[in-house]
Amino acid sequence: MEEHKFILFLFLSAAVLVAGIFHFLYSTTLNPPSESEGLQNPLKKRGFVLVFMFIVFVVLLFVTVPKSPYFLFSNETPAKVVYVNAQQFAYMMSYKSIDLNKPEIETDVELPLNEPVEFRVTSVDVTHGFGIYNSKAELLIQTQAMPGYVNRLRWKFTEPGKYNILCLEFCGSGHAVMRSSFTVK
Amino acid sequence: MASLSLKKITAVWIYTILILFVLAILMGITMRFTQGKTISVSPIEFYLLMTTHGVTMIGIWAAAGIVAVNYLLARYIKVSTSLNVFALVFTVISILMLWASTFIGKFHAGWTFLYPLPFHIAWETWATPMFLWSLMVLSVSWFIWTLGSMVQILKKYSLRQSFAIQHISKKSPSVETPPLVLISMVSLLGMVVCFIAAIILLALLLAEYYSAGKFVNDPLLIKNLTFFFGHTIANEALYLGLATLYELLPEVSGRPKFKTTWYVALGWNCAIIFILGAFFHHLYMDFVQPKGFQIFGQIASYFATIPSVVVTIISIVTLLYNNKIKWSLVNLLFFIGLMGWIIGGIGAVIDATISNNIILHNTLWVPAHFHTYNVMGNVLFSLAFFVWVANEFSDNNDLQKYNKLVMPLLMVGGFGFVLMFYWAGAYSVPRRFAMYPSELSSGTALASAAAWFACIYLVGVLLVLFDVLKKCAKVFSSSSH
Repeated sequence: MEEHKFILFLFLSAAVLVAGIFHFLYSTTLNPPSESEGLQNPLKKRGFVLVFMFIVFVVLLFVTVPKSPYFLFSNETPAKVVYVNAQQFAYMMSYKSIDLNKPEIETDVELPLNEPVEFRVTSVDVTHGFGIYNSKAELLIQTQAMPGYVNRLRWKFTEPGKYNILCLEFCGSGHAVMRSSFTVK
Repeated sequence: MASLSLKKITAVWIYTILILFVLAILMGITMRFTQGKTISVSPIEFYLLMTTHGVTMIGIWAAAGIVAVNYLLARYIKVSTSLNVFALVFTVISILMLWASTFIGKFHAGWTFLYPLPFHIAWETWATPMFLWSLMVLSVSWFIWTLGSMVQILKKYSLRQSFAIQHISKKSPSVETPPLVLISMVSLLGMVVCFIAAIILLALLLAEYYSAGKFVNDPLLIKNLTFFFGHTIANEALYLGLATLYELLPEVSGRPKFKTTWYVALGWNCAIIFILGAFFHHLYMDFVQPKGFQIFGQIASYFATIPSVVVTIISIVTLLYNNKIKWSLVNLLFFIGLMGWIIGGIGAVIDATISNNIILHNTLWVPAHFHTYNVMGNVLFSLAFFVWVANEFSDNNDLQKYNKLVMPLLMVGGFGFVLMFYWAGAYSVPRRFAMYPSELSSGTALASAAAWFACIYLVGVLLVLFDVLKKCAKVFSSSSH
């Protein structure tokens, strides 16, 4: 199952489970057995929930933290580096560091397939986002474009085609139309 | 017990909050209909509505929490009416300044006013300082309000007792701290800290504005301060809502009052540490932020849920399970609010996982989860308090004619509304887009559906509002204490 669909499925399953538990709890309050003394051993049950949640969270931390974007392809040398300067409401991209006085901008950025590439993303005015979408309009990865800082985003594209870049940080009235694209061959 | 003057100022607060709530809902509906292409609003108008909607909603529900605990704390301590009057006056001034900056000055940098966007002026020049000063007025007056509320508690309970530390060290302490006092103290402390951060943040921004380029801020530092403030106030407001739940749910359900035990005390004291550290998850996509902060953000976001969930949920299960409960609108609002809080929390934990955040950050998944624990959580807690207190003001617990419709309307409208956000967020539709590009047209259809669900929710809110406001009016003709 794709990651996006899995996240939605996971959330909806958990939400339905919670709603089911609340419905059950509600139903026990309508006509409880006359000899009922309510929940037995609440302290023991509280301890069980505490230990259960603690274990789940520790396992999740060990599984998910290594997949954080900061560690992706960190031991590999990028096959290509793309310099990105965001500004209201467009992206300047180049294979060379961008000199704002004499910018040499690539209009058709091409990136290699199945090789790590690195985007060095910054901004010349306000904070922007840099979200990469595949041809199915699924968000693959993103970083922020913050003035005064360079965020290095590494990724390996496994499918050829056109990829769109959308701004994912609110940057002003033209935010929704701020976009660019590149091709993976 | 609450004095007549406290009752009156609480009633005025409720009027203010509910009227602003309806207006802010209408702004939200306008935004979702615009995204759904049902109506047409220019991007500037869309973003100024977004800015006003965000700040207003966060403000009114934080205020509702403080107002509710102040009213209920009068059962245990002497509560200052003048402190609440002071806060109301400055809140109204601040809201008028805020709305002037957005509706007249066209300021539209979002509720996050993410630096340096407020200085890239695309609106009236005066609107930037007006917006910043409106938040400064609010932050300073609420700092005094929340600190003053803590001082009121400390006049009766020692610092140790107010945080129920004696319950951790002794099984049967001589002084018992009610859960309302403990949770109020924990939440008010968090608010005091976040208002200090807000005052520093706004002072830095105003210093840059008035220095004419001589003083320049660091965007990363300002972003950390912004989200420390924004994240903390939103979460502490929720905990104040829970404080009212602890106080009122057993009472209106005909069950014994909650008592503070060692695990309740320990759980709530632990919660504050994690809540104050969880804001780092807002900066996951700033890769220049130290990695330690990022990972701590995930750890704090996960473990912030443990004390509150383990303590609160099991306490509520213990209270209700297999016990005959007389359900009314008040305890149903608390009960469903608790469910909404948990469901929103699950959405938040999924988003707070860094490896998920890569594909969820700044998509509609974010408003999905915070709207869930506000629209279907904190708002319901506060509405429960409003209905309860209105009944008390009017000595009238009668169900209004349309009362049975309220919960179905709020549930269908509220959960339907947030489901559209989750769906769109999981499918990569960005947040804060006035319109969606053609490849993300699913966002358009879902936005329109969300707006209709919000209309259903609004009808439910209006039914509560008419009943509450009518009953609250009676407190002004009352002369008894």
